[in-house]
Amino acid sequence: MAGVIASSSRRVAALRLLRRRLFQAVPLMLGVVVINFILIHLAPGSFLELMTAENQVSDPATVELLRKAYGLADPIWLQLLKYIWALLHFDFGFSYRQNMPVIEAITINLPATLLLMISSIALALAVGVAAGVVASVKVRTFWDTLVSVAAMFFFAAPSFWLGIMMIVLFAVKLGWLPVGGMMTIGGAGGGVASVLDILAHLLLPTLALGLFYAAIYARVLRSSMLEVSQLDFVRTARAKGLSRNKVTLSHVLRNALLPVVTILGVQMGTVLAGSVVIESVFSWPGVGSLLFDSVSSRNYPVVLGIMVLGTLVVICANIAVDLVYMWLDPRIEIR
Amino acid sequence: MANTVSRRVFGAGALATGLIGKTASSFAQGEPKRGGTLVATWGGGEPQACYVPAGGGSSPTFSSSKLFERLGRRSMEGAFEGELAEAWKPAADFKAYAIKIRKGVKFHDGKDMTVDDVIYSIDEIWKKYAAAAAMTDYVGGESPDSDTVIVKFSKPVPEFFFSSLLCGGVNYIVPKHVYAGSDPVTNAANNAPIATGPWKFKEWVRGSHFEYVKNDAYWRPGFPYMDRMIIRYVRDPAGRAAAFEAGDIHIGVFNPVAPPDIKRLTGTGKFVATPKGYEESVWSTSFECNTRNPIFAKREVRQAMFHAVDRSLIARTIYYGYARPGTSPIFSPNKEFYTADTYKTEFDPKKAAALLDTAGYPKKPDGKRFTVNLLAAGWFTENGKIGAIVKQGLEDVGIVVNLTVPDRPSSIKRIYTDYDFDLAISNQANPSEPVPATTQYYTSDGIKKGVPFRNASGFHTDEVDVLVEKIKVETDATKRKTLVVEFQKITTREASNLPLVEIESITVASIKVQNHSNDPNYLASTWYDIWLAS
Repeated sequence: MAGVIASSSRRVAALRLLRRRLFQAVPLMLGVVVINFILIHLAPGSFLELMTAENQVSDPATVELLRKAYGLADPIWLQLLKYIWALLHFDFGFSYRQNMPVIEAITINLPATLLLMISSIALALAVGVAAGVVASVKVRTFWDTLVSVAAMFFFAAPSFWLGIMMIVLFAVKLGWLPVGGMMTIGGAGGGVASVLDILAHLLLPTLALGLFYAAIYARVLRSSMLEVSQLDFVRTARAKGLSRNKVTLSHVLRNALLPVVTILGVQMGTVLAGSVVIESVFSWPGVGSLLFDSVSSRNYPVVLGIMVLGTLVVICANIAVDLVYMWLDPRIEIR
Repeated sequence: MANTVSRRVFGAGALATGLIGKTASSFAQGEPKRGGTLVATWGGGEPQACYVPAGGGSSPTFSSSKLFERLGRRSMEGAFEGELAEAWKPAADFKAYAIKIRKGVKFHDGKDMTVDDVIYSIDEIWKKYAAAAAMTDYVGGESPDSDTVIVKFSKPVPEFFFSSLLCGGVNYIVPKHVYAGSDPVTNAANNAPIATGPWKFKEWVRGSHFEYVKNDAYWRPGFPYMDRMIIRYVRDPAGRAAAFEAGDIHIGVFNPVAPPDIKRLTGTGKFVATPKGYEESVWSTSFECNTRNPIFAKREVRQAMFHAVDRSLIARTIYYGYARPGTSPIFSPNKEFYTADTYKTEFDPKKAAALLDTAGYPKKPDGKRFTVNLLAAGWFTENGKIGAIVKQGLEDVGIVVNLTVPDRPSSIKRIYTDYDFDLAISNQANPSEPVPATTQYYTSDGIKKGVPFRNASGFHTDEVDVLVEKIKVETDATKRKTLVVEFQKITTREASNLPLVEIESITVASIKVQNHSNDPNYLASTWYDIWLAS
């Protein structure tokens, strides 16, 4: 009965948390939109200038006409209000460079980025947690040193350099994996073959992006586990006669994971940012490439659209992290 | 035939450092092999659209030129040849040209190309977008019969100018039935073009590649040899080099890899590198002086800027020898109009100092003369590095330099809209015909605030304006060349905007690739005859 009550109370607390976080997300989103809008417009040069340059528009009257057509003749506050109003109607604007709605331009590229992000985070968690556990269980042994050295290396190595080195080794020299792209051009045959083809293309960018975070998780988890393993409840668990593995995985690891989960939530945004570089190195057709192009061409609507969607992803990830936090440690009630 | 010697002179630095590796094997070896897929790339990013009616830069020109065709083309020997036109000839007064249209040409959707398509393309695409600056005197077109289009102008048009127009840029023949009644700039067909070329659009996987397939109904019998062409986009030059090595890319145009990688790739014996195929699109890194600044209004100061900078050093160190000092706004590969008999802006710091003294800017007690804002346009990474060399050279003669390297949009705004610079390091790509691509940097009508890649220096004189007007209408080829030579003498002497270096653009290709680099603007040609050896 007590368990049911506790479970029900946790659900209520989780729902309360969800409601609160969603409510907090509104001013956060607004802040992100306003700040990004202003920052982008403060940057010198506009997409109109770039467009007229590329299209060799030589008539100043035409330039003025385009300025009005694209709403650039309005004062910036009016442009901002119009943009917020459009966003409220789920209208992210129109990308004149791609000649399509912004949301369409982003959704074409979004699946590739989400795949890369999810696989990188999964790899980082799997490798980082495993390495952290090994290092803490085998503390001050060869394995601990190996994990520390590897973590130091992957933490210090810039991801673009790591990516290029892996391309040279695994794609060029050994020929085991493709150099770049998301799938073999012309198709791998469909079905399972296509899935395997995508996985083969995904492996190197995932390693390049994920190993940096794996290094962080390994280091954080190692110290966290060493700290938790000294606590009384662990000693009690051992005294009760639980096996070493049971104590390590069920008691020490579960409690030691809290800082890792915290970092995971914070790093969602940086993983997205990191994908910009990795996508460039591996020609991965994701949002990162689109963002790079859009910033270079002052394609404000697309840049803002990606920022807004990126913020949404980070907010959702942080809500998920809070919920995981509560699940890992039922004593925690996040306010 | 395996290693033909490039006909263009490579930079001495390149030879000294051995960077060239092998020169191109660009001619067919034996019987062409049919079938297969060619994977190509270029030294830049993905285009904003597959086809941009106004050009839109090198990227959409590269992607669209495999699908669309022009009325004419230029051979490597410099001769004008018919493509979608069989021939063209001027009227006696050179105010009209009769173009004989090729029969039996079909668009990719099966419809015949007619004179209506040609007139529509000239009226609605060339005149308004693709060649607007060159067609100011265009009056209109008409078709006296189903094979002929008469193109009329208000002033005499030199034959070289007209032929260059037919062969140039993105002056394509587009299907009227697809574009008429729409805004050509936003027409959905720009991202899935229907044209007449050897390759048909199949797919655009954004962020990755274009896929084109063989046009079985192509008007050149037996072409193209290959079944499929992929234009792949790899943003990072190092990634492109790796893709070459892994065999994922067969050919890359316009500097696809970094210069040190050219040596490495050609050193394997599996690749060739060639500067051929850029004769009609020679790039330069130029130096523009803002004559609105009273200091730079003085000719001696402008001349001094060029004398103070070691351009051979730029060619050797920044471009690894794939460049040579520029001497004239008409670039040295231009066989029709280039002259070396101009004001010499060779590296001579003593002469620079003397000119600055003469201009009234002697060294002050602190050793300084004046301060300049040097803007290196950040659209090419090399420009920022050149900025550092220029800064060093100018400071050696007592000029204090504030160097900034803004990104592309900022550079365009500061140079062409705000005129917010004293000296700018920029870039130009010029075809052989000097009007208007080259001349507009020196004439009054080239000064258009907010319009990029025009006369940003503000320099203009009646002498140059009158001279360019004469060049525009002079129909006698010999007299016209004399006028262009005079133009070069004046503009080099005035030194408002001159090339620091002429850049050698490079194509890298697998030795399997045959019939490449065989067009003077290879990036923008159709590649109808390319094939892959076994």
